[in-house]
Amino acid sequence: MRIASIAQSTQRPSLRGLLAVAVLLLLPPLVLENNGYLLRVATLTLMYAGLGGAWNLLGGFAHQISLGHAAFFGLGAYTSTILLRDLGLSPWIGMIVAAAVAGLASFIIGIPTFRLRGHYYALGTLAFAEVLRILFLYFRSFTGGAIGLSVPYMGDSFWYFQFYGNRPYYFIALAMLALTMYITHRVSTGPLGYRLRALRNSHEAAEVVGVDTTRAKLQANFLSAVLTGAYGTFYAQYHFFIDPDTVFGLMTFSVKMALIAILGGLGNVWGPLVGAAILVPLDEWTNAAFTGGLAGASRFIYGSLLIVLILWQPRGLLYWADRSLERLRERRAAAVGEGVR
Amino acid sequence: MVEVLEAIVNGVLVGGVYAIISVGLTLVYGIMDIVNFAQADFLMLGMFAAYLCAQFLGLDPILSSILVFPVIFLFGALVQRGLVQRVQSAPIVSQIFLTVGLSLVLQSLMQMIFGANFRSVTTPYQTQAISVGPLNLSVPYVLAFLASAVMALALWLFLERTDLGRCMRATAQNRVAATLVGIDPSKMYVVAFGIGTALAGMAGAVILPYAYVFPTVGHQYALIMFTVVVLGGLGNVLGALVGGLLVGVIHSVSAVFLPTQLQNLVVFIIFILTLTFKPTGLVGRRAA
Repeated sequence: MRIASIAQSTQRPSLRGLLAVAVLLLLPPLVLENNGYLLRVATLTLMYAGLGGAWNLLGGFAHQISLGHAAFFGLGAYTSTILLRDLGLSPWIGMIVAAAVAGLASFIIGIPTFRLRGHYYALGTLAFAEVLRILFLYFRSFTGGAIGLSVPYMGDSFWYFQFYGNRPYYFIALAMLALTMYITHRVSTGPLGYRLRALRNSHEAAEVVGVDTTRAKLQANFLSAVLTGAYGTFYAQYHFFIDPDTVFGLMTFSVKMALIAILGGLGNVWGPLVGAAILVPLDEWTNAAFTGGLAGASRFIYGSLLIVLILWQPRGLLYWADRSLERLRERRAAAVGEGVR
Repeated sequence: MVEVLEAIVNGVLVGGVYAIISVGLTLVYGIMDIVNFAQADFLMLGMFAAYLCAQFLGLDPILSSILVFPVIFLFGALVQRGLVQRVQSAPIVSQIFLTVGLSLVLQSLMQMIFGANFRSVTTPYQTQAISVGPLNLSVPYVLAFLASAVMALALWLFLERTDLGRCMRATAQNRVAATLVGIDPSKMYVVAFGIGTALAGMAGAVILPYAYVFPTVGHQYALIMFTVVVLGGLGNVLGALVGGLLVGVIHSVSAVFLPTQLQNLVVFIIFILTLTFKPTGLVGRRAA
């Protein structure tokens, strides 16, 4: 009963709660300066929350730990940028192609790796992202190699997905996040979510009750990859610059996406939003505060946070908050009961 | 032809080192069922330890590797007791991300202390080479290989001939049965993790005469390590030794035919192919 109530409170927020979050998320672009640093951090927070949500689809619900989601992200970033550079194609269309390329890649990567379990799966996905990173570094004439690729400047234009200030990007990121959360919510409450949660505990047991585990994982991975690829395009358009070591990077994206999902709570629709809201500003702050000799400090905080979280609250902050609230309520109820007696 | 032969011999020399840095990974997995994603960073710690020995005590890195072993062993044992033990029976998510976090912490800590610069030591034999027939073999590579061979032999003697080694093999084979005959698995975990990380550290010391040390040097070795252990079968000690030599040769020979940037690509493709078609490894059953 208690588990059910936790699931309900985290997976199905009340309409009031939903409205409150919506208002809260609409606030930053209205109060923060359009060209300011803070709105930029807020926009990045939304983007990373969406990435965490995309990772959550497979990593959170099914506990299939991908350490290679940067593969989809990088493919997305390069696809739309190369299409814009060579064909002058609008990044909006590029984003759709990017999502399709990432979705296709999810099958190419998924079919061999989904036979693997646990640590092996993590290693396999890691290797795929590395292979792509090396290929994109090597084929310089096409990808720009290690020097990276600048997104051609088209002026302030909606059609070309380029804007002067942060505000339009913020609203795009917000819309993408809303879509990501809607998809994760639908998956979570739909049949796919049940299949993924069933195979999380045991592939064999899930197969016995009739779940096609490979199919379920491929479906979740496809959705996850499509979203991640689209975010790759967003990132390229927002940063105006991409390079293989960053967009295909293990620490820059693969691990960060996972960390955001874990921080909020694995398999929790709202988790990535909480995770990103903590991690991204922290990241920005440490990067700004510690430079030169202390340049390692931001990674240090990152790593320590990961260790502390795993040891202290492996189920994430939302779960912890839920439990704490529950305990508080129980204590209060007990106190009231005693008063009556 | 000579070029290829030379590449093969050099591959064996480097592969011996790959074998030693990877054998720790496989040892830990065989006994604890945990993949230590920070293994390559213990190699980096070993390199820094040997670098400090060379800088302040004037010790040759090959000699100081003997000092490095107990130091990294103790550190590894502490890490096992303080951190890794706590996720021993936790879900795989926790196991993976604990060691990923550890890797980040170790790298950034060393970066804060030593900076991101590339450092190296100078040895009298650094640029020397031995001629064997038509082949020129670089002395630092030969020495690193010989040191690795000694370590492999020592490990083999330890696992085969000592009681502790036998207990470890028993734990790897069947944890429950080992517990039933009175082996304390948690003790085996500490020893395995200590030895596993110390071997990587020691290997880090012996490669210092020909390799640069910097906080993120582990990246260069991490995927090679994973390839080696998967090729040999995760948990299979003999497999890791064979896999190390194999990867060394493949790595080295592919540099003859392909641009250097694609050298690692060949290794990763072999890694993916092994995972896809023979995830239990080429060498066969678990023999740890």
